[in-house]
Amino acid sequence: MTAADFLAILRGLPLTIALTMGAFTAGALLGIPLLAARQSRLLPLRFVSMVLIQIVRGIPPILWLFIIFFGLGMSYVPISPFNAALIGLSLIAAANMAEIYRGALASIHFGQWEASRSLDLGRWSTLVDIAAPQVFRVALPSAASYLIGLMKETAVASTIGVAELAFQGNQLSQSTFRGLEVFAIVGLFYVLLSLPVAWLSRAADAYLQAKVAR
Amino acid sequence: MTAVQNAGPLIRLAALSKHYGTHLVLDQIDLEVVKGEVLAIIGPSGSGKSTLLRCINYLEVPDGGLITVGPTTIDATRAASRSELSGLRRRVGMVFQSFNLFPHMTVLRNVSLAQERVLGRTRRDADERSMQLLKRVGLADKAGQYPVRCSGGQQQRIAIARSLALDPEVMLFDEPTSALDPELGLEVLAVMRELAESGMTMIVVTHEMGFAENVSDTVMIMADGKIVEKGPSAQVMRNPQQERTKRFLRAVHDR
Repeated sequence: MTAADFLAILRGLPLTIALTMGAFTAGALLGIPLLAARQSRLLPLRFVSMVLIQIVRGIPPILWLFIIFFGLGMSYVPISPFNAALIGLSLIAAANMAEIYRGALASIHFGQWEASRSLDLGRWSTLVDIAAPQVFRVALPSAASYLIGLMKETAVASTIGVAELAFQGNQLSQSTFRGLEVFAIVGLFYVLLSLPVAWLSRAADAYLQAKVAR
Repeated sequence: MTAVQNAGPLIRLAALSKHYGTHLVLDQIDLEVVKGEVLAIIGPSGSGKSTLLRCINYLEVPDGGLITVGPTTIDATRAASRSELSGLRRRVGMVFQSFNLFPHMTVLRNVSLAQERVLGRTRRDADERSMQLLKRVGLADKAGQYPVRCSGGQQQRIAIARSLALDPEVMLFDEPTSALDPELGLEVLAVMRELAESGMTMIVVTHEMGFAENVSDTVMIMADGKIVEKGPSAQVMRNPQQERTKRFLRAVHDR
């Protein structure tokens, strides 16, 4: 492995990070209205959002990228490989984050709702002041481990030509015929990316645990 | 308009009833509590005493009957509006068996939040009032802590302060000491006694016979969703008239 080979792989890093952070941010945000729809008092809204979440989660990510890039992109609206991957992964992240939030919401003790009602806090304050902070706190470890999963998932974007880590590794292995070394380095990059996420999540969790553990 | 002085009871329940499926939990309960009265509700588990208490601020929705607190009357046979519920809940404070403090907020924030959101007080005014109340329950030094750092007895006293912060006209206590060991229960009872002496109208569901006998003005025994006996506390506790009351009190004293 020469330094030039190493740099070739390194060139994929920004796109991997951009895809991961872009999809995770979009998913973490879009997951909130999706959860709201899932918990809605209106049955049709509840049903549609449930079906949507199941479909998005039920189809393999690679297939979603093919549907968006080859299906929509090639025949209806021109779309770049990166945007197709970002949209697909964001959708998947939104469905998964909505489910993570839902689990966290269910963990809130019913006494919290009763206390809010007896204080006449109202729906908005109960949501913003009472539920949301506790939901995010409970969802944090699951969200962090999902973020690591999503980061690895971005490798599927290489199949539609996004020049991220796996794509660069594949290119390099084909030009150098040294697949083992190349993919070992690529793997190392993924591991190195996941370490700060895991570390940050643990630190945040420990901090919150010390303050507000129940 | 001239304000009409309400000479009647502060709280009036008329023919209040509640079913869980086919099980009758509250059977046509009629009850009046005057301003400043401290009413203890005692009785065996499953007699409906907690449900009755929780109906008064509509945490449980009764099937029928009328609930009047001050100028607000709710007819349980039809759906209550948001403003009716607000009218009720702003007059009624509630303290729970399991405290139900908000774990992600400091003690001070727990007491101040509803003052800002419900009464529209500024943060500064709310915090000032909260500190007064925390001092009153003996916990001013805990203001900056999170609830998890407080003992059960302290958490319950904070919950009382949180409820008092909205200036309720009546306070409901749902077995406030049942989750506490005897010593911690005592510090909560001391706060409740002080509250009673200050003239607060209180309805207390409890298994603390000492409180029922010595602090409350009136004691009411419930069994099977009905009021068995109600009267001045000394009379009911020392000279009960109903066989069911005698049996319950004997079981308590023989322990």
